[in-house]
Amino acid sequence: MSKEIKRPLSNKERINLPHQIMPLRQAWERVNNFAEVPLGYSDEQAVAEAQRCLQCRKPHCVEACPVGIDIPGFIKLIEQGDPAAAASKIRETNFLPAACGRVCPQDKQCQAVCVVGRKNLPVGIGSLERYAADYEREHHTLTPPAIAPSTGKRVAIIGSGPAGLSAAYELRVKGHEVVVFEAFHRAGGVMVYGIPRFRLPLEIIDEDIAYLESLGVQFVYNMVIGNILTLDDLLEQEGFDAVFIGTGAGLPNMLTIPGTNANGVYSANEYLTRINLMEADKFPEYSTPLFQGKKVAVIGAGNTAMDVLRTAKRLGSEVTCYYRRSENEAPARSEELEHAKEEFINWRWLSNPVEFIVDENNFVKQIKCEKMVLSEPDESGRRSPQPTGEFFVEDCDTVVMSLGCSVNPIIPSTDKEVRINKWGVIMVDVETCQTSKKGVFAGGDAITGGSTVILAMGQAKTAAAAIDKYLRGELREDPRVPTDPNFYVKDWQLNNGHAKNGKQKKVTA
Amino acid sequence: MTERIEHIVKHIHFDSEEEVAKALDHAGQLQDLTYEEKNDLAAAFSIIFYHHDHAGITAMGKLAIRAEHLIAGFGCDVVPFLLGELINADSESAAYLGKAIALNPCPNVDALLQAWEENWDDDFAGINIIQTLSYFKDPDVVKAIPQILVACKSANFQVRAMGLYTIGKLALRLDPGVFSEELLLSMFDTVFTMLADSKPLVRKNAARSLGKMQKRGLLTDKQRLQVLAAFKAILGTDGQHNWDRAFIVRHEAEHFLPLFSSRPAMGDRYRQSFKILAKKELCEKTFHFVIEAPMIARKLKAGQFIIVRPHDHSERIPLSLCGWDVDRGTIEIIVNTVGKTSAEINALQVGDRFIDIVGPLGQRSHVQAYPDTCVVIGGGYGTGAIIPTAKDLKALGNKVIGIVGARSKDLLLMTQELAAVCDEVMITTNDGSAGIEGFVTDALQQVVLREDVSYVLAVGPVPMMQAVSKLTEPLAITTYVSLNAIMVDGTGMCGACRVSVGGKTRFACFHGPDFNGHEVDFEQLMKRQKMFVKEEREALYSVEA
Repeated sequence: MSKEIKRPLSNKERINLPHQIMPLRQAWERVNNFAEVPLGYSDEQAVAEAQRCLQCRKPHCVEACPVGIDIPGFIKLIEQGDPAAAASKIRETNFLPAACGRVCPQDKQCQAVCVVGRKNLPVGIGSLERYAADYEREHHTLTPPAIAPSTGKRVAIIGSGPAGLSAAYELRVKGHEVVVFEAFHRAGGVMVYGIPRFRLPLEIIDEDIAYLESLGVQFVYNMVIGNILTLDDLLEQEGFDAVFIGTGAGLPNMLTIPGTNANGVYSANEYLTRINLMEADKFPEYSTPLFQGKKVAVIGAGNTAMDVLRTAKRLGSEVTCYYRRSENEAPARSEELEHAKEEFINWRWLSNPVEFIVDENNFVKQIKCEKMVLSEPDESGRRSPQPTGEFFVEDCDTVVMSLGCSVNPIIPSTDKEVRINKWGVIMVDVETCQTSKKGVFAGGDAITGGSTVILAMGQAKTAAAAIDKYLRGELREDPRVPTDPNFYVKDWQLNNGHAKNGKQKKVTA
Repeated sequence: MTERIEHIVKHIHFDSEEEVAKALDHAGQLQDLTYEEKNDLAAAFSIIFYHHDHAGITAMGKLAIRAEHLIAGFGCDVVPFLLGELINADSESAAYLGKAIALNPCPNVDALLQAWEENWDDDFAGINIIQTLSYFKDPDVVKAIPQILVACKSANFQVRAMGLYTIGKLALRLDPGVFSEELLLSMFDTVFTMLADSKPLVRKNAARSLGKMQKRGLLTDKQRLQVLAAFKAILGTDGQHNWDRAFIVRHEAEHFLPLFSSRPAMGDRYRQSFKILAKKELCEKTFHFVIEAPMIARKLKAGQFIIVRPHDHSERIPLSLCGWDVDRGTIEIIVNTVGKTSAEINALQVGDRFIDIVGPLGQRSHVQAYPDTCVVIGGGYGTGAIIPTAKDLKALGNKVIGIVGARSKDLLLMTQELAAVCDEVMITTNDGSAGIEGFVTDALQQVVLREDVSYVLAVGPVPMMQAVSKLTEPLAITTYVSLNAIMVDGTGMCGACRVSVGGKTRFACFHGPDFNGHEVDFEQLMKRQKMFVKEEREALYSVEA
């Protein structure tokens, strides 16, 4: 370990060190249960991987991180054999390191710009983050932050997903009283109902929530804000000084083709919620039923689609993925796609579903697809799928549509002062995450229309900083919230409170 | 002594309250008092403070308080006199003298502290001065606190006790902003240490002071937990069994314990018990529940629904409401045993709690003032769900006719409750055991033949709602049906409750539950409701087995 290193490694030596591969459980074993797939680095592996970091003076990885983690800083600490200090380094900027190390699209963020990646495979930043966070959790090295003296100000957080939890943490540490309102009966949001256990074990989220509670954040469940209390109720009658909306993208997009409303056709949200939140896979011990046949068709190839494919596989079905573009365009995190490909899943690239054929009882029996071809790249370099007029039909008895989500309409529909664009996305001042309603801020999928855990956290941090300013009367009064209903932010890349266009490089390794 | 003063002074007789009152009146009217005159009056009236015979006599006590105010009003001129008196006063008169000093508009904290300095060795003078400090409202008194904290460590336990008492008083009275962080820390440290004092009186006052500091939010979270642990030890609830043997200390700790154990939290305001307050069997396998859910009750509107989970392993099932009471904070539901979860709900008894109830969900019924008659139709246990809408329609001045249908007389429910909010109620039974023999559509047919109808709401089994819609469609009567689709979350997140309405996919939980009956694809709805039939049966077996 670090003792054995006689002299500091040169950059050239560091670049040429081999990438440490995180051990995985074997595919044939893992498709039979919901245990986590990657097993995490050993101490030796973590140090070896940390040695590959060049400790760049102007690190691109930090810029590419939506929450701006001091990546070289924490890697240095791991290299020195102090994972506990590395974990507290990450904690300075990221409240959910164990979750982010597992579910962040590092291949599109920090690892995409890693200098080592130009010559060799990039440094495994996500794996190292996970290693530090796991070490902290297993060895109980977490020291709670100093909480500023009470300011007497109250903030209501709506939604307890990644955005809500991060905002709650940031605001509580600054001495405000924080109440989190959750519509479901347990906290965690998409990390509980959406992301399956084999990617993100439940204990990790529960510990983070317990940690927040120990800091004095209060959670209230079964509260659908907009209905049981409106934003005006919170601000005027309940005595909250500010509100943060972190309600996520809770309105699934469905195909509008014949058979969409057939029995056995689910949205990914419904399918995953039944299993992850309601534990329908343990039916009838848990009462929520799940209808799943022998052949499952999953539409889409994003991260959620990968989750559905792999979950369905674990429940013992033959699973096929249908996607209208090719594998190269699949929006899923590369690691997820790799893991899914190992797990005996069938792939139908360039296949666009046009009909779900049903039996007399409205149960889906077959899927009809049109074969597609990719066009030449257009000006933006994007290759769009073109119909060929050729069709094929395959048997299936369950369909799960994983086509992304729109923003949940409950809050905008109950408060007209919160301006939304024509897709229902809440519009905010990109620098402060202020909405068009005074004292109301928003972050996460509610303002992006569907993105990642880490981006939601970055926005929540920005919003929390702005809320803190607002409560101290230091925030400018006129938020620049767009008025054009066609407006949307193309590239959300928040770093330390500033929105900018993210420069994203394709992984070349 | 001037003449006018002498005139007043000779009236001060302690056998007669009237005379003293008169003297106070006179003195209050005097203008342009000189230094000597003020001091003479102060001396004369302060004798009342020493006159212990009035103890318990409220009239004389009140006069003493008047005298206290009068003397305080003399300002800086009388402060040296009062201080001189205070040093030697007994405890009872010291209270009056102290208040006269504390109420005095003259900035006299410094003078008091100096007097204390000069008499530092005299514990009785010290006690009087500390007590006087406890009466101050002037934020300037905060600078006396370090000295009081020193006195809290005095060898004389009475001085210690008075010091602690005063710290508590000032913590409670002064604006929290006047205490510096450093000062708060030393206040807490000193007071907390005194919980281990050898004298019960001191321990009692320390506990009391800590309670008052917490009441004003002066303690940090860490300090709060420290005190909590100490109070638990005093009360012997920490499992150590070496509790404080002095009752007065335990009493104080017990009184303030709740302040420390649960910080008055904002979030607690939103916790509802979901306790069952009443349960009544309406007919076989069908029960009416009254449940405590004040926040939901406050917001419910006719047509909206809730999602419930009776216990931790339950599924989330949607239920319509048959009533609610904002003042009592209760909601009312009717549950008919059809599957595992409804069976589990109906097994609950009064006093049991639902683990989760979410609501209100969905949109309000389309209630407004309609030109012609409104008809609300309930089939089976759907009858309960039409009552709130009927009530709203009635309140808007509509003529409301209720139609209730059931297989037979025994299965009719809530007819009286419905009759209370309708102009007329018609009953139909399939077997003719009550009212019209036939279906709800037969009754509706009669209504549409005899009068103009502008609104129909039907809640019940899907074939019944379909039949009603079919009847009203050619007559172009606005018809709504309340769809009880399968749901999971009830907020639009999962899409399980998709229904086809007018060729478009709608979510029953968010866009509904009431939809235009002429546009709903009932065939699809009926088939979708059978999606989990096999699983439902399996689940029910697992309950019955």
